[in-house]
Amino acid sequence: MDDRDLVGRARRGDPEAFTQLMMQYQVPLYNMALRMVGRPDDAADIAQEAFTRAWQKIRTLRDAPFKSWLFQIGANLCYDHFRRGKRYGEMPDEETNKVVGLGIATPDPQERAEASERNRLVRQSIEALEPDMRLAIILRDVNGMAYDEIAGVLRVPLGTVKSRIARARAQVQEHLQRYPDFFPSTREDAHAE
Amino acid sequence: MPSEPRIPIEPTLEELSAYLDHELDDDARARVAQHVAGCADCQARLDGLRETAFAIRALPMETPPRTFTIPAKRRETFRWAPVAGWIGGLAAAMLIIVVSVQHLPFSPAGMSTAAPAQPVSGGLGQGGVPYAQGAPYREVAPLGQSTQNDSSLGAFSSNSKTVAGAKGSSSSLTISTDSASYPASGVITLHVTTKGLSSAEASSVRIFVMRDGQGGYAVRLVPPSNAPAYPFDYQASYSIPQMQLPAPVAGKYSLQVTIDTSDHSGLVAWLPLTITH
Repeated sequence: MDDRDLVGRARRGDPEAFTQLMMQYQVPLYNMALRMVGRPDDAADIAQEAFTRAWQKIRTLRDAPFKSWLFQIGANLCYDHFRRGKRYGEMPDEETNKVVGLGIATPDPQERAEASERNRLVRQSIEALEPDMRLAIILRDVNGMAYDEIAGVLRVPLGTVKSRIARARAQVQEHLQRYPDFFPSTREDAHAE
Repeated sequence: MPSEPRIPIEPTLEELSAYLDHELDDDARARVAQHVAGCADCQARLDGLRETAFAIRALPMETPPRTFTIPAKRRETFRWAPVAGWIGGLAAAMLIIVVSVQHLPFSPAGMSTAAPAQPVSGGLGQGGVPYAQGAPYREVAPLGQSTQNDSSLGAFSSNSKTVAGAKGSSSSLTISTDSASYPASGVITLHVTTKGLSSAEASSVRIFVMRDGQGGYAVRLVPPSNAPAYPFDYQASYSIPQMQLPAPVAGKYSLQVTIDTSDHSGLVAWLPLTITH
């Protein structure tokens, strides 16, 4: 199904169409907010508010893609979150959240613990980034957006996107290199470029 | 600086990072590739950036802890909004026409082109093709006998997710599968169950296998023909080859179960799946 069709219907007040859009984007939007603010409850509040605002303002959406527009609303809410003095929250242990580490079954408790520890360190290194860089790298490496799409969300030139992503990766790398076992010499990873 | 004078100038951090993302133009990409091939230091820098990106991409996509809703408020006010937009647009168009008549030599042709140039926000009939109900995705039926409404069934513990309904609701939806990883020739057995939902407040259950990162639904898994009644509780198996997933089949997928509810909130449970060679 095409976003434009659903947006067209939602603009005319069709809640079913907007619900379809909401279902399509709730996981990526929530995960963007989660990696930005850290705490699941805060991220869910941000995603909820973003959908509410998008529903109420969708008639103002003209030629821009719905996805970029929605993420722009969500990103602004993340910035508001920090402007209100709220801090990056601690993510509960993935074990308690019933998430399968790395998206791959790891029934071995030790493997799961290692995956969980790696993820904790990555989250910590993302948290250490200043918000502009954090958002850029999240949109790229968590949400998988292309640079021009990210530029649309952040409303900055393409060169700025490129620079923020590069500097963010360099800082995350520097942070992770403090843990000697983090980068194995060889690896097999399904996330090939 | 590279020791070999013939290889191109050392790429910047931004270029190496964008190279990983295939975000350089052809010339820059070729230049970076040529340099990296002859420079061990830059190869190491590139490897470091690549492994860092991999580490971030390996963070699991989390399922939202609750269902999102949209307020009914806009539905009440919306009927007036297009009318207001229409009136506003019409007024603006008339103003333009008046201004044109006052400031330009009279020209019927000029008037006729000025007015339509004004956007009429929210005008009925603009944009949006009616949503086609025809399914743009493949549908796959369950294998053999599926079981339902059997209290002996339990959720698979290996890969499971429960989502609660909107705030103030006691409803929930649970989806589980017998594994989180399947070979491309394998069979996915799933278990779907609901709590606190009646037929009056929930419509049919829709199950999709979606490929991560490519948008849109890939395959719809059709529930058993002996249609479920709420509370929904069934277990069924689906053949991965029958799904005819586009190549390369191996990769990351999501199993998404959706129930539309009468308050337009919907319940969505989302579970990551991996399909291997």
